[in-house]
Amino acid sequence: MAGLNEEAQWIVLMGFVVSFSFFFLAMILNQSTVVGQTTAESVLEFPKNDIRDVRSVIIESVRLGEPGEVHNDIRVLSLSRKGAVVSYSHPTGLDAYTHIIIHYNNGVTEYNENWTSS
Amino acid sequence: MVDESGQLYTIEGFAAAMIMLFTTYLVLSATSVYTPGDTHISDMQLEQIGTDALKMMNTPVSSNVKSPLQSIIETSNATTAAAAFNTTFLNYVNSRAGSNPDNLHYSAAVTYRNITAGDTTNNYPLASNGLLTGGEHPVRVTEWVIANIKLPGRNTVEPRAVLVEVLLWRD
Repeated sequence: MAGLNEEAQWIVLMGFVVSFSFFFLAMILNQSTVVGQTTAESVLEFPKNDIRDVRSVIIESVRLGEPGEVHNDIRVLSLSRKGAVVSYSHPTGLDAYTHIIIHYNNGVTEYNENWTSS
Repeated sequence: MVDESGQLYTIEGFAAAMIMLFTTYLVLSATSVYTPGDTHISDMQLEQIGTDALKMMNTPVSSNVKSPLQSIIETSNATTAAAAFNTTFLNYVNSRAGSNPDNLHYSAAVTYRNITAGDTTNNYPLASNGLLTGGEHPVRVTEWVIANIKLPGRNTVEPRAVLVEVLLWRD
């Protein structure tokens, strides 16, 4: 390196530093869009309305005394039209309240509830 | 003898060029705006308003009367049922604050379990105010209803859980 102007080495070093800082900034920007995407996707995939709806119809059916075909209606239609496995039972004789054990699974989201009348 | 310091300058030049090109590539690829969630926002809004409308229709005004939706499904006259559903549903989904009403289109059907055909599902049309031609982009909203009805293949009126399915779209 004899005879060269060694100031240039500082310039190259600073160039490296600036490059690396750009590199990390780019990494952060890159990750931020992925975060937005996964959040939006998980919001879309969560079957909030489906769970609320099937839950309310199950509670209503038990309130009506579980008439004959309703249990199988809910099970079969959930599977064929909503793509969800729905299973529920209501154990009796435990106490004075109504208990319903609800299971819901659509392959992505699983929901279980032990509902008790108040 | 050639001055060999030129080689060092050349290598430095190459290194600097590589760093700059690589950084430019990274920065450009990182800042491209990519938000797939945006395209679904209007669908989500439509789905929500449809679900809310059906939920309101399936809510009785008091504990000893039937909900409007249950009454509509229990109506044996298909024309009367369709007219009642059409009026109430459009009233709910099309109302907007202030200005003119919205102009949504829908096609509603009732899906039930066919006991005599080995637990298959069938459906019959309930009401609609537009024909699906294939170019629309509808969303599907559903609502469970327990109603006292006589479904095809059954002899008596009995309580049954049916699924009201509505395809909803905006022109």
